[in-house]
Amino acid sequence: MEFYNKPGEYDAINYIPPGESHGTKELWKTFWILLGITIFDFIIYFAMDPGGWRNFIFIFFGLVKAYFIVGAFMHMKYEKITLALIILVPVVFIFGLIAGLLYEGNAITWAKW
Amino acid sequence: MANHSQTPNAFENQTMWAGGRSPFNVSYGKLMMWIFLLSDAFTFSSLLVQYGAQRFSNVVSPITTEWPDPASIFNHFPFMHGLHLPLLFVSVMTFILIASSVTMVLAVEAGHRKSKKEVVRYMVYTIIGGAAFLGCQAWEWVTFIHEGARLDSNTFGITAQGKEHLGKLSFGDHFEWMLGDRTNGPVPFAALFFIVTGFHGFHVFSGVVINVVVTIMAYKGVFEKRGHYEMIEKAGLYWHFVDLVWVFVFTFFYLI
Repeated sequence: MEFYNKPGEYDAINYIPPGESHGTKELWKTFWILLGITIFDFIIYFAMDPGGWRNFIFIFFGLVKAYFIVGAFMHMKYEKITLALIILVPVVFIFGLIAGLLYEGNAITWAKW
Repeated sequence: MANHSQTPNAFENQTMWAGGRSPFNVSYGKLMMWIFLLSDAFTFSSLLVQYGAQRFSNVVSPITTEWPDPASIFNHFPFMHGLHLPLLFVSVMTFILIASSVTMVLAVEAGHRKSKKEVVRYMVYTIIGGAAFLGCQAWEWVTFIHEGARLDSNTFGITAQGKEHLGKLSFGDHFEWMLGDRTNGPVPFAALFFIVTGFHGFHVFSGVVINVVVTIMAYKGVFEKRGHYEMIEKAGLYWHFVDLVWVFVFTFFYLI
Protein backbone atom coordinates (compact mmCIF):
# COMPACT_ATOMS: atom_id res chain seq x y z
CA MET A 1 0.00 0.00 0.00
CA GLU A 2 1.22 3.42 -0.81
CA PHE A 3 1.12 6.28 1.62
CA TYR A 4 0.36 9.79 0.52
CA ASN A 5 2.70 11.55 2.89
CA LYS A 6 5.95 10.53 1.32
CA PRO A 7 8.26 13.53 1.18
CA GLY A 8 7.67 15.57 -1.91
CA GLU A 9 4.19 14.21 -2.51
CA TYR A 10 0.76 15.65 -1.84
CA ASP A 11 -0.47 14.51 1.53
CA ALA A 12 -3.79 15.21 3.14
CA ILE A 13 -2.44 15.60 6.67
CA ASN A 14 0.20 18.20 5.96
CA TYR A 15 -1.61 19.92 3.10
CA ILE A 16 -1.85 23.67 3.61
CA PRO A 17 -4.19 25.51 1.25
CA PRO A 18 -2.49 28.60 -0.15
CA GLY A 19 -3.22 31.61 2.06
CA GLU A 20 -5.25 34.34 0.43
CA SER A 21 -5.24 37.93 1.54
CA HIS A 22 -8.53 39.79 1.27
CA GLY A 23 -6.83 43.09 2.09
CA THR A 24 -7.14 45.07 5.30
CA LYS A 25 -10.11 47.22 4.29
CA GLU A 26 -12.76 44.76 5.45
CA LEU A 27 -10.85 44.11 8.70
CA TRP A 28 -10.81 47.77 9.65
CA LYS A 29 -14.46 48.13 8.66
CA THR A 30 -15.27 45.23 11.02
CA PHE A 31 -13.24 46.89 13.78
CA TRP A 32 -15.23 50.14 13.46
CA ILE A 33 -18.52 48.23 13.41
CA LEU A 34 -17.57 46.34 16.62
CA LEU A 35 -16.43 49.54 18.29
CA GLY A 36 -19.59 51.35 17.17
CA ILE A 37 -21.83 48.63 18.60
CA THR A 38 -19.95 48.71 21.92
CA ILE A 39 -20.42 52.49 22.17
CA PHE A 40 -24.07 52.08 21.15
CA ASP A 41 -24.53 49.51 23.95
CA PHE A 42 -22.99 51.98 26.39
CA ILE A 43 -25.41 54.74 25.32
CA ILE A 44 -28.47 52.46 25.33
CA TYR A 45 -27.54 51.28 28.84
CA PHE A 46 -28.13 54.78 30.19
CA ALA A 47 -30.73 55.98 27.70
CA MET A 48 -33.24 53.17 28.24
CA ASP A 49 -34.90 51.85 31.37
CA PRO A 50 -33.92 48.33 32.40
CA GLY A 51 -36.26 45.73 31.03
CA GLY A 52 -37.08 43.29 28.30
CA TRP A 53 -36.61 45.62 25.34
CA ARG A 54 -33.22 46.83 26.50
CA ASN A 55 -32.10 43.24 27.09
CA PHE A 56 -33.38 42.28 23.65
CA ILE A 57 -31.28 45.06 22.06
CA PHE A 58 -28.18 43.95 24.00
CA ILE A 59 -28.57 40.30 22.99
CA PHE A 60 -29.40 41.20 19.38
CA PHE A 61 -26.31 43.39 19.03
CA GLY A 62 -24.23 40.75 20.86
CA LEU A 63 -25.20 38.29 18.12
CA VAL A 64 -24.41 40.91 15.45
CA LYS A 65 -20.95 41.30 17.00
CA ALA A 66 -20.54 37.51 17.05
CA TYR A 67 -21.44 37.40 13.34
CA PHE A 68 -18.74 39.93 12.48
CA ILE A 69 -16.07 38.30 14.67
CA VAL A 70 -16.71 34.80 13.32
CA GLY A 71 -17.40 35.87 9.74
CA ALA A 72 -14.68 38.42 9.11
CA PHE A 73 -12.03 37.96 11.81
CA MET A 74 -12.19 34.16 11.94
CA HIS A 75 -12.56 34.01 8.18
CA MET A 76 -15.67 31.81 8.32
CA LYS A 77 -17.31 33.70 5.42
CA TYR A 78 -14.62 32.40 3.08
CA GLU A 79 -14.54 28.79 4.29
CA LYS A 80 -16.39 25.99 2.56
CA ILE A 81 -20.06 25.82 3.51
CA THR A 82 -19.61 22.26 4.83
CA LEU A 83 -17.08 23.44 7.41
CA ALA A 84 -19.21 26.43 8.41
CA LEU A 85 -22.27 24.22 8.94
CA ILE A 86 -20.38 21.60 10.96
CA ILE A 87 -19.17 24.30 13.36
CA LEU A 88 -22.24 26.55 13.50
CA VAL A 89 -25.21 24.16 13.47
CA PRO A 90 -24.47 22.45 16.84
CA VAL A 91 -24.26 25.90 18.47
CA VAL A 92 -27.86 26.63 17.43
CA PHE A 93 -29.07 23.93 19.82
CA ILE A 94 -27.62 25.88 22.75
CA PHE A 95 -30.32 28.52 22.24
CA GLY A 96 -32.93 25.87 22.90
CA LEU A 97 -31.17 24.88 26.12
CA ILE A 98 -30.98 28.53 27.21
CA ALA A 99 -34.69 29.10 26.54
CA GLY A 100 -35.65 25.92 28.40
CA LEU A 101 -33.51 26.54 31.46
CA LEU A 102 -34.46 30.20 31.77
CA TYR A 103 -38.12 29.15 31.74
CA GLU A 104 -37.49 26.50 34.40
CA GLY A 105 -35.36 28.89 36.44
CA ASN A 106 -38.16 31.42 36.42
CA ALA A 107 -40.57 28.73 37.60
CA ILE A 108 -38.23 27.99 40.54
CA THR A 109 -38.38 31.68 41.56
CA TRP A 110 -42.14 31.48 42.02
CA ALA A 111 -42.06 27.95 43.48
CA LYS A 112 -39.90 29.32 46.32
CA TRP A 113 -42.66 31.60 47.59
CA MET B 1 10.24 17.26 7.70
CA ALA B 2 7.00 17.12 5.78
CA ASN B 3 6.80 18.85 2.49
CA HIS B 4 4.20 21.58 2.17
CA SER B 5 4.54 22.26 -1.51
CA GLN B 6 1.31 22.94 -3.30
CA THR B 7 2.19 21.43 -6.64
CA PRO B 8 -0.89 19.96 -8.29
CA ASN B 9 -0.76 16.23 -8.84
CA ALA B 10 -3.03 13.23 -9.31
CA PHE B 11 -4.54 13.58 -5.83
CA GLU B 12 -5.75 17.10 -6.51
CA ASN B 13 -7.97 15.75 -9.28
CA GLN B 14 -9.77 13.22 -7.11
CA THR B 15 -13.38 13.92 -6.25
CA MET B 16 -13.84 15.80 -3.01
CA TRP B 17 -15.08 12.99 -0.77
CA ALA B 18 -12.96 10.19 -2.28
CA GLY B 19 -10.34 10.57 0.44
CA GLY B 20 -6.76 11.68 0.26
CA ARG B 21 -7.58 15.37 0.46
CA SER B 22 -9.38 17.71 2.83
CA PRO B 23 -13.03 18.08 1.81
CA PHE B 24 -13.09 21.34 3.79
CA ASN B 25 -10.11 22.80 1.95
CA VAL B 26 -8.44 23.64 5.25
CA SER B 27 -5.37 22.09 6.77
CA TYR B 28 -5.63 19.38 9.39
CA GLY B 29 -4.42 21.75 12.11
CA LYS B 30 -6.96 24.44 11.31
CA LEU B 31 -9.83 21.97 11.17
CA MET B 32 -8.82 20.59 14.57
CA MET B 33 -8.63 24.13 15.95
CA TRP B 34 -12.23 24.70 14.79
CA ILE B 35 -13.35 21.44 16.41
CA PHE B 36 -11.60 22.45 19.64
CA LEU B 37 -13.28 25.86 19.54
CA LEU B 38 -16.65 24.18 19.09
CA SER B 39 -16.07 22.07 22.20
CA ASP B 40 -14.84 25.15 24.06
CA ALA B 41 -17.99 26.98 22.95
CA PHE B 42 -20.01 24.25 24.66
CA THR B 43 -17.93 24.62 27.82
CA PHE B 44 -18.62 28.33 28.01
CA SER B 45 -22.25 27.81 27.06
CA SER B 46 -22.72 25.42 29.96
CA LEU B 47 -21.34 28.07 32.32
CA LEU B 48 -23.48 30.85 30.87
CA VAL B 49 -26.61 28.66 30.83
CA GLN B 50 -25.97 27.87 34.49
CA TYR B 51 -25.65 31.60 35.18
CA GLY B 52 -28.92 32.31 33.36
CA ALA B 53 -30.80 29.55 35.17
CA GLN B 54 -29.52 30.69 38.59
CA ARG B 55 -30.34 34.30 37.85
CA PHE B 56 -33.85 33.52 36.64
CA SER B 57 -34.52 31.42 39.73
CA ASN B 58 -33.79 34.48 41.90
CA VAL B 59 -35.91 37.14 40.21
CA VAL B 60 -37.68 37.88 43.48
CA SER B 61 -37.15 36.27 46.84
CA PRO B 62 -39.11 36.31 50.07
CA ILE B 63 -36.15 34.83 52.01
CA THR B 64 -33.14 36.85 50.86
CA THR B 65 -33.03 39.64 48.28
CA GLU B 66 -33.12 39.18 44.54
CA TRP B 67 -30.23 39.00 42.05
CA PRO B 68 -28.28 42.29 42.28
CA ASP B 69 -28.21 44.79 39.44
CA PRO B 70 -24.65 44.77 37.98
CA ALA B 71 -24.68 48.59 37.63
CA SER B 72 -24.71 48.90 41.42
CA ILE B 73 -21.63 46.69 41.86
CA PHE B 74 -19.32 47.09 38.86
CA ASN B 75 -19.25 50.86 39.01
CA HIS B 76 -15.59 51.51 39.78
CA PHE B 77 -12.88 52.97 37.62
CA PRO B 78 -9.13 53.08 38.40
CA PHE B 79 -7.89 56.38 39.90
CA MET B 80 -11.48 57.60 40.29
CA HIS B 81 -12.16 56.27 43.73
CA GLY B 82 -15.65 56.59 45.14
CA LEU B 83 -17.37 57.67 41.93
CA HIS B 84 -20.41 55.91 40.47
CA LEU B 85 -19.25 54.99 36.94
CA PRO B 86 -21.15 51.87 35.91
CA LEU B 87 -20.11 50.04 32.73
CA LEU B 88 -17.28 52.45 31.93
CA PHE B 89 -14.34 50.27 32.96
CA VAL B 90 -15.72 47.12 31.36
CA SER B 91 -16.36 49.04 28.12
CA VAL B 92 -12.69 50.04 28.13
CA MET B 93 -11.79 46.36 28.61
CA THR B 94 -14.03 45.44 25.67
CA PHE B 95 -12.35 48.09 23.54
CA ILE B 96 -8.90 46.70 24.45
CA LEU B 97 -9.94 43.19 23.42
CA ILE B 98 -11.51 44.35 20.14
CA ALA B 99 -8.37 46.37 19.35
CA SER B 100 -6.12 43.40 20.06
CA SER B 101 -8.40 41.28 17.85
CA VAL B 102 -7.94 43.62 14.90
CA THR B 103 -4.14 43.65 15.32
CA MET B 104 -4.25 39.84 15.44
CA VAL B 105 -6.16 39.63 12.17
CA LEU B 106 -3.77 42.16 10.63
CA ALA B 107 -0.91 39.84 11.62
CA VAL B 108 -2.72 36.95 9.88
CA GLU B 109 -3.17 39.12 6.77
CA ALA B 110 0.52 40.07 6.84
CA GLY B 111 1.31 36.35 7.12
CA HIS B 112 -0.58 35.72 3.88
CA ARG B 113 1.75 38.22 2.23
CA LYS B 114 4.70 36.52 4.02
CA SER B 115 5.82 39.83 5.48
CA LYS B 116 7.73 38.71 8.57
CA LYS B 117 8.38 42.19 9.91
CA GLU B 118 4.71 43.15 9.89
CA VAL B 119 3.64 39.82 11.42
CA VAL B 120 5.99 40.30 14.37
CA ARG B 121 4.95 43.94 14.83
CA TYR B 122 1.20 43.21 14.85
CA MET B 123 1.69 40.18 17.10
CA VAL B 124 3.53 42.35 19.63
CA TYR B 125 0.57 44.79 19.60
CA THR B 126 -1.78 41.85 20.15
CA ILE B 127 0.25 40.58 23.11
CA ILE B 128 0.27 44.07 24.65
CA GLY B 129 -3.53 44.22 24.26
CA GLY B 130 -3.97 40.81 25.86
CA ALA B 131 -1.70 41.69 28.77
CA ALA B 132 -3.56 44.99 29.28
CA PHE B 133 -6.86 43.12 29.37
CA LEU B 134 -5.51 40.70 31.98
CA GLY B 135 -4.31 43.63 34.08
CA CYS B 136 -7.77 45.21 33.90
CA GLN B 137 -9.40 41.96 34.94
CA ALA B 138 -7.02 41.57 37.88
CA TRP B 139 -7.97 45.06 39.02
CA GLU B 140 -11.66 44.25 38.62
CA TRP B 141 -11.31 41.11 40.75
CA VAL B 142 -9.31 42.86 43.47
CA THR B 143 -11.90 45.65 43.68
CA PHE B 144 -14.78 43.17 43.76
CA ILE B 145 -13.15 41.06 46.51
CA HIS B 146 -12.33 44.22 48.46
CA GLU B 147 -16.04 45.15 48.30
CA GLY B 148 -16.86 41.85 50.01
CA ALA B 149 -17.36 39.32 47.21
CA ARG B 150 -16.73 35.72 48.25
CA LEU B 151 -17.20 32.35 46.61
CA ASP B 152 -19.37 30.92 49.38
CA SER B 153 -21.55 33.89 50.28
CA ASN B 154 -23.07 36.97 48.75
CA THR B 155 -23.34 40.23 50.65
CA PHE B 156 -24.65 42.04 47.57
CA GLY B 157 -28.32 41.65 48.34
CA ILE B 158 -29.53 45.21 47.79
CA THR B 159 -32.19 46.20 50.31
CA ALA B 160 -35.08 48.56 49.62
CA GLN B 161 -33.03 51.36 51.23
CA GLY B 162 -30.07 50.46 49.02
CA LYS B 163 -32.20 50.53 45.90
CA GLU B 164 -33.50 53.97 46.81
CA HIS B 165 -29.94 55.15 47.45
CA LEU B 166 -28.69 53.74 44.12
CA GLY B 167 -31.75 54.97 42.24
CA LYS B 168 -30.91 58.59 43.07
CA LEU B 169 -27.38 58.29 41.65
CA SER B 170 -26.48 59.51 38.21
CA PHE B 171 -23.31 58.84 36.23
CA GLY B 172 -20.21 60.24 37.97
CA ASP B 173 -21.81 60.94 41.36
CA HIS B 174 -19.96 60.25 44.58
CA PHE B 175 -20.87 56.83 45.91
CA GLU B 176 -20.25 54.86 49.06
CA TRP B 177 -22.22 51.95 50.53
CA MET B 178 -24.23 53.03 53.58
CA LEU B 179 -25.23 50.92 56.55
CA GLY B 180 -28.36 48.97 55.66
CA ASP B 181 -27.87 49.19 51.88
CA ARG B 182 -26.77 45.60 51.65
CA THR B 183 -27.81 42.30 53.12
CA ASN B 184 -27.41 38.67 52.09
CA GLY B 185 -28.41 37.86 48.53
CA PRO B 186 -28.47 34.82 46.25
CA VAL B 187 -25.30 32.86 47.02
CA PRO B 188 -24.16 31.90 43.48
CA PHE B 189 -23.88 35.53 42.32
CA ALA B 190 -20.20 36.19 43.11
CA ALA B 191 -19.17 32.55 42.66
CA LEU B 192 -20.51 32.48 39.10
CA PHE B 193 -18.86 35.82 38.36
CA PHE B 194 -15.48 34.47 39.50
CA ILE B 195 -15.91 31.13 37.72
CA VAL B 196 -17.00 32.57 34.37
CA THR B 197 -14.70 35.62 34.21
CA GLY B 198 -11.91 33.51 35.71
CA PHE B 199 -12.36 30.83 33.09
CA HIS B 200 -12.40 33.48 30.39
CA GLY B 201 -9.37 35.21 31.92
CA PHE B 202 -7.52 31.90 31.94
CA HIS B 203 -8.30 31.58 28.23
CA VAL B 204 -6.92 35.07 27.65
CA PHE B 205 -3.81 34.10 29.59
CA SER B 206 -3.35 30.92 27.51
CA GLY B 207 -3.93 33.00 24.38
CA VAL B 208 -1.21 35.45 25.40
CA VAL B 209 1.20 32.55 26.05
CA ILE B 210 0.38 31.02 22.63
CA ASN B 211 0.82 34.42 20.99
CA VAL B 212 4.21 34.93 22.67
CA VAL B 213 5.36 31.51 21.45
CA VAL B 214 4.27 32.04 17.84
CA THR B 215 5.71 35.57 17.83
CA ILE B 216 9.10 34.23 18.90
CA MET B 217 8.81 31.53 16.21
CA ALA B 218 7.93 34.17 13.59
CA TYR B 219 10.76 36.41 14.76
CA LYS B 220 13.25 33.55 14.52
CA GLY B 221 12.13 32.87 10.95
CA VAL B 222 10.61 29.43 11.59
CA PHE B 223 7.54 30.18 9.47
CA GLU B 224 9.65 31.82 6.77
CA LYS B 225 11.59 28.56 6.47
CA ARG B 226 8.34 26.58 6.47
CA GLY B 227 7.00 28.70 3.64
CA HIS B 228 3.70 29.64 5.27
CA TYR B 229 2.36 31.45 8.32
CA GLU B 230 -0.48 29.07 9.10
CA MET B 231 0.46 28.87 12.77
CA ILE B 232 -0.42 32.57 13.11
CA GLU B 233 -3.85 31.78 11.66
CA LYS B 234 -4.45 29.00 14.19
CA ALA B 235 -3.35 31.20 17.10
CA GLY B 236 -5.59 33.89 15.60
CA LEU B 237 -8.64 31.60 15.58
CA TYR B 238 -8.12 30.93 19.27
CA TRP B 239 -7.62 34.61 20.05
CA HIS B 240 -10.79 35.66 18.21
CA PHE B 241 -12.71 32.97 20.02
CA VAL B 242 -11.61 34.50 23.33
CA ASP B 243 -12.89 37.85 22.05
CA LEU B 244 -16.16 36.19 20.99
CA VAL B 245 -16.67 34.71 24.46
CA TRP B 246 -16.04 38.12 26.00
CA VAL B 247 -18.86 39.59 23.87
CA PHE B 248 -21.28 37.25 25.66
CA VAL B 249 -19.70 37.60 29.11
CA PHE B 250 -19.95 41.39 28.67
CA THR B 251 -23.58 41.12 27.56
CA PHE B 252 -24.82 38.78 30.28
CA PHE B 253 -22.71 39.83 33.28
CA TYR B 254 -22.57 43.57 32.83
CA LEU B 255 -25.21 44.84 30.40
CA ILE B 256 -28.20 42.77 31.48
